[in-house]
Amino acid sequence: MKTLQFHYHMEIAFSEPVHSHVYTLKCLPVTGAAQRIEACAYRISPESRVREGMDSFGNRMLYGTVEEAHSLFTVDVSGTAVTDVPRPVPEGDRREPSAYRYQTPLTRAGERIRRLLADCGGTAGMPVCDRVRGYMEAVHESLRYEKGVTDIATAAEDALALGRGVCQDYAHILLSLCREERIPARYVVGMLIGEGESHAWVEVYDGERWRGFDPTNNVAVEDAHIKISHGRDYRDCSINRGVFTGQAGQSQTILVEVAET
Amino acid sequence: MEIELTRRAETVNELLARYGVKFGIYKNNEFKEQLFPFDTIPRIIKKEEFAYLEKGLKQRVMALNCFIRDVYGDRKIIRDKVVPEEFVYISSGYLAPCDGVVPPRGIYTHIAGIDLVQGKDGSWYVLEDNLRVPSGASYPMIAREICRKSSPGTFEEYHVEDNRDYAKLLRWTMDYVNTGGHTVILTPGRYNAAYFEHSYFAEKTGAHLATGRELTVEDDYLYFVDYSGRREKVGAVYRRISDEYLDPMTFNEESVIGIPHIYDVYRKGHVALLNAPGNGVADDKGIYYFVPKMVRYYLGEEPILQNAPTYLPYYEEDMQYVLEHFDDLVLKDVAEAGGYGVVFANKMTAGQKEDFIALLKREPRRFIAQEVIDFKDIDIVENAKRVPRKADLRAFVLMVDEPVVWKSGLTRFSRNPDSFIVNSSQGGGFKDTWVLSQ
Repeated sequence: MKTLQFHYHMEIAFSEPVHSHVYTLKCLPVTGAAQRIEACAYRISPESRVREGMDSFGNRMLYGTVEEAHSLFTVDVSGTAVTDVPRPVPEGDRREPSAYRYQTPLTRAGERIRRLLADCGGTAGMPVCDRVRGYMEAVHESLRYEKGVTDIATAAEDALALGRGVCQDYAHILLSLCREERIPARYVVGMLIGEGESHAWVEVYDGERWRGFDPTNNVAVEDAHIKISHGRDYRDCSINRGVFTGQAGQSQTILVEVAET
Repeated sequence: MEIELTRRAETVNELLARYGVKFGIYKNNEFKEQLFPFDTIPRIIKKEEFAYLEKGLKQRVMALNCFIRDVYGDRKIIRDKVVPEEFVYISSGYLAPCDGVVPPRGIYTHIAGIDLVQGKDGSWYVLEDNLRVPSGASYPMIAREICRKSSPGTFEEYHVEDNRDYAKLLRWTMDYVNTGGHTVILTPGRYNAAYFEHSYFAEKTGAHLATGRELTVEDDYLYFVDYSGRREKVGAVYRRISDEYLDPMTFNEESVIGIPHIYDVYRKGHVALLNAPGNGVADDKGIYYFVPKMVRYYLGEEPILQNAPTYLPYYEEDMQYVLEHFDDLVLKDVAEAGGYGVVFANKMTAGQKEDFIALLKREPRRFIAQEVIDFKDIDIVENAKRVPRKADLRAFVLMVDEPVVWKSGLTRFSRNPDSFIVNSSQGGGFKDTWVLSQ
């Protein structure tokens, strides 16, 4: 168990001013499973009336519209999280774990993923967490961490073929392996001590509770990770969705700080 | 029977063309708008026969609505293993964002288009339940209107139920779920296949016809903004765009025809969307197999209308049957619609057959197989001669406090004498459907 202070900063710089910028953000960590959020405040700029909601996965949403012209859009979230709490807390997701047993277009297994699974050997009968630890190791070994070679639309099978990628690709491949074996597995977005950007990993249902596995770092999730959202794959969890009026290029920067108090 | 009306075929088709009764089709990636050919010989359904269909259709739509509410709610039918979970979660019509969201008055299937065919022995079969955005009611409506003008006596003489009340029925359906505010028909625009229908319904029901640009969300409510900039709150949207394009903030992010945040307004119960997003989970071709089971499960009744005999290769014994009787069956890809992805095994070459069976074994969940129903032909007039053609019937069932079946329907026929596929997107034509009142 740890008490962590976190600060999440996202900014989008537009090359030209835009207006009527409609946004939906899933950037607020929620209490559930192994973490408790004790304090959480946010600020969105330029100012607009912010509405709050919750999606079907139990993720908190902030949304609204910035009508005025602006070239910079920023979101700041900060607060305190208690991680790896001894007794799991109920979560907002009303879906049954088994609903997470099926592949999505981003996780669908092809030849390479099936071969990787075969290389892991027969694991049926072993406890779920042991099986997943094996898959996690296989994913970690099969990919080299490299930015800029994949993007948000890259499917697990393609990332594996490339042999390089970022946390999102590691997570999608691990999801694919688990789901081929019909193990309920979901995609998680969050923050991690020592990682300057947002992070992604996987949660697996072991029959009693959801447990986190971080294939990028090849570790089981304990008390260094703060979860923001989860879903079937990246698409359910994108931190920022937006549409705006204006012909402008945009560049997004994310800065995350997590420190133990 | 010689009806005076059939001598007026040319006049009627000319008038339909003048009114712009068109159907857009995509062929080789090109959009072409073509007239939807009308044949003046009506399909005639006797009073007692229609009463039977009506009863069966009401029952079926009730069960479908219960199913959708259950799938996005308590999932009892899945827990009781009547419908296997993966048929729900893999279905392209199942939308996770709809989970736990209850629409106004719990209605998911406001306007359903149920496709039926009549076998040679006279028995009716349901071929498809179209629940997403079924189109077609406007065609028999306007055809009837024009036929009445060109041959006024015909309808008195034959005691035909008036079908011009569809607009009233549709308005009632929209008002019944309205959460307070204006009623809007949302169209993707004039390049949509059914644009004629959208504008015709707006005119007949008195609803605003709008594209996404004219609707805007503010503080969790939806507003219609007219040309002068005046805003009016909207309480019901009969949307004629599909789920994935409805809201770029929840569904397809690339959509430019939707309304950002409309789904959040809906989620909070501040607007009704007809039909309800996510209801496509029940018109999936794989789920179709389970509809008679739904009737028994939710209503505790025996299904009045039957499915065409259908096999699910997903089940071992059905796969066996399909392989043994392959040549007699029609195979349907569950992910396709509009007459696409339908293959008749007896029309395949040996090579195609081999490939198809390999695919079927690899992805059994993707296909259903059905017996080819030898359906009753209906005469059409072609080059001044009566010739028989295959035809189906799309019945429209609207959900108010209970399902109401429109006393008419869209009869579509195949112009190709060898084809069983009647979809308008495949170039078929249509007829009026007469329900006799005595």
